[in-house]
Amino acid sequence: MALVPHPHISEDDYLHCIRCGQCLAVCPTYRLTLNETDSPRARVALLRAVREGLLERPTDRTAAQFFRCLLCGACTFTCPSGVTVDRVLELTRGEMAELGLLPQPLVALNQRIRESHNISAEPPESRLLWAQNLPAPPTGLGKAQAEVVYFVGCVGALFPRSYGIPQSFVQILEGAGVDYALLGAEEWCCGYPLAINGDLEGAREMMRHNLEAVRATGARTLVTTCPSCFHFWKHAYPAALEEDLGLEVRHATEFLADLLEAGRVPLRDDLPEQVVTYHDPCDLGRKSGVFDAPRRILRAIPGVTLVEMAENQGGSHCCGGGGNLESMDPALSQGIAARRIRQAAETGAQVVVSACQQCERTLFNAARAERLRLRVKDIAEIVLEAMRR
Amino acid sequence: MSEHAWIDRLREVLGPAKVLTNIEDRIAYSYDGTFAQQLPDVAVLPESTEEVAAVVRIAAEYRVPVVPRGMASGLAAASVPFSGGIALSLTRMNRILELDEVNRTVWVEAGIITADLQAYVEARGLFYPPDPSSNKHSTIGGNIACNAGGPRCLKYGVTGDYVMGLTVVLPDGRVLRTGGKAIKNVVGYDLTSLFVGSEGTLGVITEALLKLIAKPQHVRTALAEFPSLDDASRTVNAILAAGVVPATLELMDETAIACIEEAMHLGLPLDVEAMLIIETDGSDDEAVRREMEVVERVCRENGARKVTVAQDEKERAQLWRARRSVSPSLARKAPNKLGEDITVPRSAIPEAIRRIKEISARHGLPIVVFGHAGDGNLHPNILFDKRDPAQWEKVEVMAGEIFGVALDLGGTLSGEHGVGVLKRPYMERALGPVSIDVQRRIKEALDPLNILNPGKVLP
Ligand SMILES: Cc1cc2nc3c(=O)[nH]c(=O)nc-3n(C[C@H](O)[C@H](O)[C@H](O)COP(=O)(O)OP(=O)(O)OC[C@H]3O[C@@H](n4cnc5c(N)ncnc54)[C@H](O)[C@@H]3O)c2cc1C
Ligand code: SF4
Ligand code: SF4
Repeated sequence: MALVPHPHISEDDYLHCIRCGQCLAVCPTYRLTLNETDSPRARVALLRAVREGLLERPTDRTAAQFFRCLLCGACTFTCPSGVTVDRVLELTRGEMAELGLLPQPLVALNQRIRESHNISAEPPESRLLWAQNLPAPPTGLGKAQAEVVYFVGCVGALFPRSYGIPQSFVQILEGAGVDYALLGAEEWCCGYPLAINGDLEGAREMMRHNLEAVRATGARTLVTTCPSCFHFWKHAYPAALEEDLGLEVRHATEFLADLLEAGRVPLRDDLPEQVVTYHDPCDLGRKSGVFDAPRRILRAIPGVTLVEMAENQGGSHCCGGGGNLESMDPALSQGIAARRIRQAAETGAQVVVSACQQCERTLFNAARAERLRLRVKDIAEIVLEAMRR
Repeated sequence: MSEHAWIDRLREVLGPAKVLTNIEDRIAYSYDGTFAQQLPDVAVLPESTEEVAAVVRIAAEYRVPVVPRGMASGLAAASVPFSGGIALSLTRMNRILELDEVNRTVWVEAGIITADLQAYVEARGLFYPPDPSSNKHSTIGGNIACNAGGPRCLKYGVTGDYVMGLTVVLPDGRVLRTGGKAIKNVVGYDLTSLFVGSEGTLGVITEALLKLIAKPQHVRTALAEFPSLDDASRTVNAILAAGVVPATLELMDETAIACIEEAMHLGLPLDVEAMLIIETDGSDDEAVRREMEVVERVCRENGARKVTVAQDEKERAQLWRARRSVSPSLARKAPNKLGEDITVPRSAIPEAIRRIKEISARHGLPIVVFGHAGDGNLHPNILFDKRDPAQWEKVEVMAGEIFGVALDLGGTLSGEHGVGVLKRPYMERALGPVSIDVQRRIKEALDPLNILNPGKVLP
């Protein structure tokens, strides 16, 4: 049933857990509640108890423990015994769903995606609303053939407060003269939320549709601003569809870093000095290994001084928005976000930059809730500001 | 209403959110860093000394066992609730109550994570030296209850050397305060020391007053590669004989090196029998550098093939990350491991290692050896597969033989992990009947109902 076959894990990967407790030190849910039940070690022990019969009949409460997790992968990154905890938890979520124990908010989410092909049950045309208030309509709209497809993702396309990300990104593409296409109403949810919430078949349907739509453009490159779409396209699509996509899947940060270094994005020379810290999105950094590209971009912007948070790159702390935790336990998710934004504040930075609409949103709300004078931006936004137009 | 009246009482006193009775929660509080497991009836998460005292009073009234628990990183099954009852977690008591920079003390709640405390005082130029490898995932209370040590203890001493006073909830629910900020204090028995290493059997530590020192400004760390394990273990004594007291002096054998390398890809040599990690520190850069020169020379004279000194903080951090990962990374080699924690007089290290390797060869199961060689504390780990009953039988025999080696050479069973239940059977042989009798009487005097972590430590 493994959706994304990983070379170094097997279904009984969890047996290697020796309960050393090292993962407790990095798990955002444990560090906030200080309750062992919310730790990776306990989640693994719970799975083991289910498999070995110590817990005879899993209930909603059992399942909830597997869903009260960010799937941020900090545990896996730290585990010296090689237990890929987040992966094991992903699989376990699937098992729980098969047992009919998917938590109610997620049942509803899955159903929405299956019916409307997006996470918020909007009509397909709504995917174009973000493109309406631009100085000029994006040239990528309605383009039948292009070298590059920009896959916007549900949140960027459908949540008005995230419109700024695709808006900024397409303006940079235009400025750099990139030949790109948007799928518009033909873009569907990438399938990630379904896959981590037990609906693997539903996820495959999304994948097949999206792949066909992209192929129809003849593009050789797919770019996403969303790290989760990126991670899923890059790793899960080929594995689940069992074919070579014939596409290079790139995250916007990789794409932009190259454009900048090739001199294709002209930068202003009147930019103010600003101290910036970068928050690594889990799906982009720890889970996909993209750490340098965003930092290359920030260093290339005149006036920017980049400072690192105490926990960065592989050891980065999740923004609180991962794994659908928000729909399971909003207070826990907000608490985690508050912790992260305080880490950002401790660096003395004026701006926190991320490369993910979800991180941007959770951190923005956290900065407000914590009354911190910190601006939160997506990397596409900061590049657009710096671009000479 | 639950099936036990005492659980209802706990809910009344603590409020329902701090009393966990679901099976999912009970599983989470059923284990520590060993493979032992037993479900408690309930786990509680008190947030103050008063709440801890209230829990213990209810337990005493209803004769229910109470097992204090930090972050359950223990390696002796000492916080596993074998008799059920209440798992009492201190993790939410994690506040720093006072930092006294003049007297150089810090007063903390027992559930604070050791590394968090260390980061806090180091940011203010002070230093709390005891450094169990588990400092990021264990608590000060657990460290005190096990008298935890670590690499730095060679020069700086163990946890107990830094405890100046404690707040302890006694098994009848009364609150005892011991010690204080005065450095000299001989009024009455030294009750602070009584609770150091008591593994939760005499009282629940809720607060601790800890001694701090000035942070050493300069550190140098070296990695020495030895083609021969014997040479490496001889070098340990040679360095100390040369008049240098390194802050740490750690040994790893070839299997340990291979496991770390597999886990972390640091480019460690795979064709040597042993490595030493040696660190010198102090307030004078020149002195630290000279000490390191002596160390390098002694290593080479005793057969080191190569000595590399870390060039910056990053390289140094990486060396330590490697060292800290030894124990857990062994899981890559075999499904199970039994990690021992013997100590021998320093001079007997080469002999101890020879005999341990001999035990391994005779029984045909690998034993990995690493540890704090500088103070004679070795961690022989037997690697095996518990699903094979023949192997498990051998392991038990081998563990007994390893303890035998330690005792024969004038050492003891545990340098830092403690007794818990795993080493209980060997206590009598290690300490003799008089010591056991005295300890039993102490336990009876403080805990006549035997409700506090019953069945641990004493045979
Ligand atoms: C990877 C790894 C590396 C380790 N490295 C070292 C090392 O280098 N040096 C070393 O000494 N140990 C080491 N240990 C062992 C362990 O981490 C220590 O024994 C540590 O002190 C336990 O602290 P804890 O908070 O996890 O306590 P727990 O494991 O929760 O409890 C241990 C014992 O202390 C008692 N206890 C805990 N808190 C209290 C309290 N507040 N009041 C009274 N009793 C209490 C418990 O009842 C139990 O008996 C290591 C363990 C692991 C898994
Ligand atoms: S770090 Fe790995 S081995 Fe240790 S408790 Fe966590 S999952 Fe288990
Ligand atoms: S994936 Fe993140 S939140 Fe989930 S158990 Fe691991 S560290 Fe904790």
